[in-house]
Amino acid sequence: MYSRRYLLQSLSAGFGYLAFAGLSSTASRSAYGNGQADSQNPLAPRQPHFPASAKRVIFLCMQGGPSHVDTFDYKPQLAIDHGKRGKYGGSLLRSPWEFKQRGDSGLWISDLFPNVAKHADDMCLIRSMQCDQPVHPGAMTQMHTGTAQFIRPSLGAWTLYGLGTENDSLPGFVSLSPPAGSSRNYGSSFLPAIYGGTKVGRSGFGQRAQNVANGESVPDISNPKLSERKQRYQLNLIQSLNREKLRRDEYQPGVEGVIESYELAFRMQDAMPELMDISGESDSTLAMYGADAGPTQGFGRQCLLARRFVEAGVRFVEVTHGNWDQHANLSADHQARAEACDQPIAALLQDLKQRDLLKDTLVIWGGEFGRTPAAQNGDGRNHNNRGYTTWMAGGGVKGGFCYGATDEHGYEAVENKCHIHDWHATILHLLGLDHEQLTYRYAGRDFRLTDVHGNVATDILA
Amino acid sequence: MTVKIRHPFQASWIFICTIAITVITVGSVSGAEPLSAEQVAFFESKIRPVLVKECYGCHSNKAGNVRGGLRLDTKQLMVLGGSSGPAVVPGNPDDSLLYTAMMHLDFEMPPRRKLSDEVLSDFRQWIEMGAPDPRETEVAEIKATITEEDIAESKRSFWAYQHPVDSPAPAVLDEDWSKTKIDRFVLAKLESEGIRPADDAEPHRILRRLCFDLTGLPPTPAQIDYFASHYREDADRAIAMVVDRLLESEQFGERWGRHWLDVVRYAESTGREVNMTFPHAWRFRDYVIDSFNADKPFDQFIQEQIAGDLMPAPNDEVWAENLVATTFLAMGPKNVNEQNRVQFAADLVDEQIDATTRVFLGMSVACARCHDHKFDAIPQTDYYAMAGIFGSMTTYFGNPPSEYGTFSTAQNRRSSSLLVLPVDDPNPYDKSYTATELEQVKSQISDLVGQLSNLRRGSQQSGGQNAIRDRLRITNQLSQASAKLAVVDASGNPRSYCMGVQESASPRDARLLVRGEIDQPAQTVRRDFPTVLREHSATIPSGSSGRLELARWIGSDENTLSARVMVNRIWQHLIGQGLVRSTENFGVTGQSPSHPELLDHLAVRFVDSGWSVKTLVKEIATSRTYRVSSDYDETSHHQDPDNALLWRANPRRLDAEAIRDAMLSVAGKIDLDRPRGSEVAKAGYTRVRDGVLGDPREAARKAAEQARAEVQASMRQSMAGSRNGQSRDGNRGRYSQGRAGAGQRGRFGQRGQGTFRAGNGGFDRESAEATAREAIRRFTNRYTNQLNMEDAEFRSVYLPIVRDQEPRSMVVFDFADSSSVIGSRESSNTANQALYMMNNQFVINTSDAFARRLISDYSSTADRIDAAFGLTYGRKPTQGERSATAEFIRQFQSDGATGLQTLSALCQSLFASAEFRYID
Repeated sequence: MYSRRYLLQSLSAGFGYLAFAGLSSTASRSAYGNGQADSQNPLAPRQPHFPASAKRVIFLCMQGGPSHVDTFDYKPQLAIDHGKRGKYGGSLLRSPWEFKQRGDSGLWISDLFPNVAKHADDMCLIRSMQCDQPVHPGAMTQMHTGTAQFIRPSLGAWTLYGLGTENDSLPGFVSLSPPAGSSRNYGSSFLPAIYGGTKVGRSGFGQRAQNVANGESVPDISNPKLSERKQRYQLNLIQSLNREKLRRDEYQPGVEGVIESYELAFRMQDAMPELMDISGESDSTLAMYGADAGPTQGFGRQCLLARRFVEAGVRFVEVTHGNWDQHANLSADHQARAEACDQPIAALLQDLKQRDLLKDTLVIWGGEFGRTPAAQNGDGRNHNNRGYTTWMAGGGVKGGFCYGATDEHGYEAVENKCHIHDWHATILHLLGLDHEQLTYRYAGRDFRLTDVHGNVATDILA
Repeated sequence: MTVKIRHPFQASWIFICTIAITVITVGSVSGAEPLSAEQVAFFESKIRPVLVKECYGCHSNKAGNVRGGLRLDTKQLMVLGGSSGPAVVPGNPDDSLLYTAMMHLDFEMPPRRKLSDEVLSDFRQWIEMGAPDPRETEVAEIKATITEEDIAESKRSFWAYQHPVDSPAPAVLDEDWSKTKIDRFVLAKLESEGIRPADDAEPHRILRRLCFDLTGLPPTPAQIDYFASHYREDADRAIAMVVDRLLESEQFGERWGRHWLDVVRYAESTGREVNMTFPHAWRFRDYVIDSFNADKPFDQFIQEQIAGDLMPAPNDEVWAENLVATTFLAMGPKNVNEQNRVQFAADLVDEQIDATTRVFLGMSVACARCHDHKFDAIPQTDYYAMAGIFGSMTTYFGNPPSEYGTFSTAQNRRSSSLLVLPVDDPNPYDKSYTATELEQVKSQISDLVGQLSNLRRGSQQSGGQNAIRDRLRITNQLSQASAKLAVVDASGNPRSYCMGVQESASPRDARLLVRGEIDQPAQTVRRDFPTVLREHSATIPSGSSGRLELARWIGSDENTLSARVMVNRIWQHLIGQGLVRSTENFGVTGQSPSHPELLDHLAVRFVDSGWSVKTLVKEIATSRTYRVSSDYDETSHHQDPDNALLWRANPRRLDAEAIRDAMLSVAGKIDLDRPRGSEVAKAGYTRVRDGVLGDPREAARKAAEQARAEVQASMRQSMAGSRNGQSRDGNRGRYSQGRAGAGQRGRFGQRGQGTFRAGNGGFDRESAEATAREAIRRFTNRYTNQLNMEDAEFRSVYLPIVRDQEPRSMVVFDFADSSSVIGSRESSNTANQALYMMNNQFVINTSDAFARRLISDYSSTADRIDAAFGLTYGRKPTQGERSATAEFIRQFQSDGATGLQTLSALCQSLFASAEFRYID
């Protein structure tokens, strides 16, 4: 069994087992399934199961459930049947936005995303998504961990566990300003704590002012008193206290987590401020992302940071854009949500492309579910987990392609259904990981992200 | 369609249920008087054609256009209205927006064109007639897919819907091991699996556990020595004595009250986009702490929170306490920016049902808002039976209106008032006004009201952006001025308020809403309790809402869950995991109890003890199960890796409050007095933006002003200094520690004005600019970090809890999300925590204080180190720790650190280490 205890205890040297491990080989593992790691560094880059088309992931998480029939799932019949009674009650509501064919591929995308639509030929729409949960917290958790019933590791944690990371001075899995109370969506659960997502930035409205005030990119990122050398001495002491405790306790995942957290934190002190400082970006780049002003400023800045993180070698970056839950005021509020993220997402795709990163960076866009074709409260739509759209770009997916379909109005996936387990299996596949082989032994059982489900949607692989 | 409720994981089944709402049209059952032929003729000839021609284009489903959220194509939606309120108030044209808009009194409808006088008078006449409208939508009756038989079957077969029964203690092989009946239940399971329980923990660990678990504070080395010597004589007696002492201390209520505050989603603001403060929520916080300290019978405690306002009170003090208790129903998260008042009211009731059922009953009835519960036997009708009860009350969470009324701003649309307490106990920070000041505020209001009506008249002609801006500005000012006036009596003295609820004058049953949509009302549902939990329907006296009856039923053993849910919470806080791990979900999708007989035993004991929390805490804390060590055992771990059978004690990470309080306590800095009110009470009723209580621009202005003043002062000094040829080099270090400076600390930790000097001897432009930047940074920091309260020294439970802006010292260690019902916190170890422990100013300051304490109390380095370990770990350092420490001291001092700096860094290392934050 892969023993974290062993590797942490076996290093009696003072500070920095990661540093040592970083110098050692990054040889591939043999017996992946039962978690054997050749390297002593749990974050060292690892070979995938088979050649991967994607090396890293940017997940643009659209919290609240953006409406597929108003964005990426063109339903002409819905417009024709507008006002008629829907399949499950309520009257059908045509989309307030016009759909057009985009790019050479002619993908149908609505006017809610005019800028993203310019990248149609790089995008792969999955229009047959399904999940089991009709309510936000459950669906959000299932999207991230495969289940809403139990606390399980998230997609990003599995990815990091499978592939390690390229930069051991940064967390391998970063969640930018995640919403409050969502930590299980980027947690590591029973996987070693080091694979859990690190929250960067505060959610909500205080973020900007606090960053300005502290002159800090991440809270408490530097010590106001100690020199680096002194702090290193201090870290040595803290870690030797921790290691001694671990030796006494024999098995204590919590203490192992503490040890790992200090190693990473110490390195982050150097790496993070530089990475988070976007003042070196040109005005034209800032403007391209909309990170300079206006409604796009917040999300634009995050998309720009996401690019900087993956460029620096972070394996999995998640960016959340919230408040898509329009049970009412769909026409105004969906418009506002889209306006805040359309330009930044388009800029991210363009920027990755011009840096030649898009080819092996998988960009994923999606919410926890879609919305009903029938109206709610006149100008709104209810949750719909039986059929909705997510899309991917780069990282080895077919561009200008659409996969699967919902029924004539968009209620339910009817063709090439892509359950969230299939979606997970496909994402792991693009990363070179076999979802059935990527397991972790916990409490006497081999666990995997897809449980006993999941089929790779091979049609979308380029 | 039959529904099986036993297959929670079948995706296909879930889908069937989502769509399984059977709509049966039964014609008009709305109970309205039938319309006369004349009324119908009037509507059809004079009203409908105008609506179709002039209004439907923008306000109907057919056109797909619902401007302002208003639809005029059904009777119900017309009465319901849009974002500005009801379009038609039958019988009252002047309150009907449809009419006033047509008259161009407020809105202008149709835009830029007035209808003929004849049409206008038709509409007036029609509304005066009571707005007879034949477009009555047919009212559907929703039939539950969960049948009576399903519910009966569920009651028969599912453990949680049956009354707990105290079974006899099981036989065990090792008769000597058990100290209490609890232990026999635990041991029997272990023996049946062939697992041996761990040995007892060492006395210092047991005491550390007891102190943190019961009070959230560490034991002192003297207490440990005393306990250890008694423990060797008589372990049972030593433990019982300590438990009694800890239960008597005021700190018990602060610890256990905080656990409860997690569950009831306590917070001092609405949360969401427009985050408005609750300046009186702290009364509830204190009420909870006091209730736990008084060991108030828990059934009574439940009843007070649900219906304190309706319970008989022998005197005004009790009445006041009961009113404060109902803050529970009022302090949930709210979207005060909601445009639609009907939607807001529905969401408010929904949140109240959700909190009440999950907090007390461990079940989620709110799932049935839109459809029958997917897994549990809770039909949608059960939800609306409760919605009638909670809908028949008014919730008070805002600020009272002044004599001029309430002025809603563009952001805060859903304002509300407060309850006046029957006792004189004003918010300590509310300002008194002199007669002159009162006059000034009043004349300001009249002036603003005048400006506003001028603007309204003016905008008829000009309009435009300026007018809108002016209007917003004036409304904001009005709202502020009116709020000032509202909280004082006629002579300018502050009144005493609390949040809470009051019964409506005429309670009504609620109508079921198809898919939970407010514009899709179906049949009326009789007010009642959840079917699967009750023996028979509730008896609700006429004229009552049924809330008092609900409270008495939930706060009793008439239902099968309340006692079980609470004993499970208590067990979890002492043992580290619930017998039912899903503390808010005792339903089919929750986890089954690991020890069902033990859970029932505890529940029965709890009820028999008069619902005494302290009695149960003592019973668990004195058990053998509590006392065993957390030592790892490979064989047992292999058999039971999750420790479900409790073969050892669970190693637990301290929660955020205990970590902060323990640091303060060890450093000798903790202030155990309860501060009155809170930082939020001090700020009053205001919006929170960018972490600032109030207007962040205003705060930034203030910060800049203060910084400017300070910079100017320092420049004057600097110039004077350079003339006098004084060297300032020595002051550089002083500034870098400026925040730790010996500023006067008020009760709320107002940061002292640290001294500031320019860095270099002479005055030069560059250093002056740096100076200015630094000062601005520091002052801005003070305002933007206002809610972190890093200088506060009182216990963490008294820190301000503003939703989405909780103090960093709490959030970084998995503080409960204050917008959700949280029975079990997460327990993570993250790089952010490591950064906090290494670099945060509070941690550094507290480490400094700890080091100073050691220096003043002990004279030799060896004694200081022993004491440091004793205070933080509750034991002496091991040989390995001694040598690591010695090595550290040598390295640090050879790098030029002073003795204090070295000791402080050592103290910080102890705070930062794993052992400090774990209870073993």
